[in-house]
Amino acid sequence: MRSRARPRYLDAFVAAIVVFLLAPIVVVLPSAFSSDVALSFPPQGFSTRWFENLLSRGEFLSAARLSVTVAILATAISLIVGLLAAYALFRFDFWGRSALEALFMTPLVFPAIALALSLAMVMSTAGLLRDFWGLLIAHVLITMPYAIRTIGASLREISIAIEDAALTLGARPAQLFWYVMLPLLRPGIAAGAIFSFIISMDEFTVSLFLTGPGLTTLPIEIFNYAEFNSDPTIASISVILILISCIAVATIERLMGLRRVLS
Amino acid sequence: MRTVRSKLLIALLLAPAVLISMVMIAAIATTLGISFLRQFPGDLQVTLANYIAFLSQPFLLKAAYQTMALGLVVTAICVVLGYPVAWFLVKRDTRFRNAVFLIVLAPLLVSIVVRTVGWIIILGNEGLVNALLISLGVIDSSLQLMRSFWTVVVGLVHVLLPFMILSIASVLSKIDDDVIEAAMLLGARPATAFLKITLPMSMQGVAAGSIIVFALTIGTYLTPIWLGRGNVNVLAISIHEQALISVEWSAAATSAVLLTIMALVFMAIFLASIRRMTRR
Repeated sequence: MRSRARPRYLDAFVAAIVVFLLAPIVVVLPSAFSSDVALSFPPQGFSTRWFENLLSRGEFLSAARLSVTVAILATAISLIVGLLAAYALFRFDFWGRSALEALFMTPLVFPAIALALSLAMVMSTAGLLRDFWGLLIAHVLITMPYAIRTIGASLREISIAIEDAALTLGARPAQLFWYVMLPLLRPGIAAGAIFSFIISMDEFTVSLFLTGPGLTTLPIEIFNYAEFNSDPTIASISVILILISCIAVATIERLMGLRRVLS
Repeated sequence: MRTVRSKLLIALLLAPAVLISMVMIAAIATTLGISFLRQFPGDLQVTLANYIAFLSQPFLLKAAYQTMALGLVVTAICVVLGYPVAWFLVKRDTRFRNAVFLIVLAPLLVSIVVRTVGWIIILGNEGLVNALLISLGVIDSSLQLMRSFWTVVVGLVHVLLPFMILSIASVLSKIDDDVIEAAMLLGARPATAFLKITLPMSMQGVAAGSIIVFALTIGTYLTPIWLGRGNVNVLAISIHEQALISVEWSAAATSAVLLTIMALVFMAIFLASIRRMTRR
């Protein structure tokens, strides 16, 4: 009797958590189409004026352009670097292996504000503060753990026997890489690419310290806009970002399963 | 010959990633160094003055206290809310399981800026909760739901709960069901089996999740500034002010070092207590 009642409480609890997790994301959608001048709920009327406002403001477009540029470059670099590192980490056993893995994952767990300040300081001594290249290096550092993880996750599922077979049949290491490993790793690499891209696009704290006038990423531009305006423009840009996230989630789910990437 | 070659190969494969990580190590070392300089750039005398100054400013001490309180409260709530969800994801056999997993994980790919905007719409003076309560006749005028410690807690729990759930679920999924069954066959009631076997065995996941959630909470700048609106002054806000507004790099570095030490101390305490528990 008791054991039958318990799952019902559990299910109700989980349902409540699901609502909690989705609420702030869902609630943005109607607000973006409000005709009210304030960010309120329930939204008043229907209009697309805030989307028009968004597009008429050059600063959002140039911030979006910078964000996409940095995200694409950081993703490309992270994937190449991450692929090499993941291969070493998950195909060989060597002294210091787990210490290195922990080192590569550190940006994920290091308090963001301290990392942001530290990167700003080292970039300033190198003359790269508020500089495109300084920002790019920081974004590579932040996206690399995700690339290593996703590629590592799919690498672990490829039997080492396949590699041995290819080598026994006379494949040279370069051929093994191009004709065997790369095709097998393609879903992992694609998932890692999407993940890195989104993480870079959304990165806030580190970018706050490394950007400046003339070099502003989209999240920072939204933050700056919201400092002085409280209209639904930030809801409309949020809708666009949510759509991009949804596409990303759906694609990763189809490629290799979000769950496998993250756990 | 073979081992020498494979050692060289490993080194070459790892070199680029190590190089990038070196930027982080150099960054942390620079911060540590600057925190001991009287005023960077300018007066480069090595001194403890910045740490003494930190400890003698009530404003900063209060920020440190708020930061710690926020970290502990958010972590505790994430454990309490996250554990049952992780349990559901691992043990409960329903067709909704995959959907719930996706909903738990998907927010990780939505920008923190977007999610905080969502909380402003829900908790603001003209927000969803106030509109709902007024239309139900519970209250006459808007409640002040923003600008408080608990608003910031809500926003942070929302951002960090997925990390806790993932962490606990990954450990729960490794616990062999046969062990629980054996305990029940030997006469343990379900509650006893849970308290004596599952809970201790899953503590590793709780610990790992707590360490991550605590470190990420105390390092978050956006949520306290946007949802606290000046009423929740944590160290992240102080660091931002010291570095970018009053441009006192040495003072900012000192605060950042102390913030990081806070995360490390929390981690050490948690790891030590876990070791003690598993020994027993």
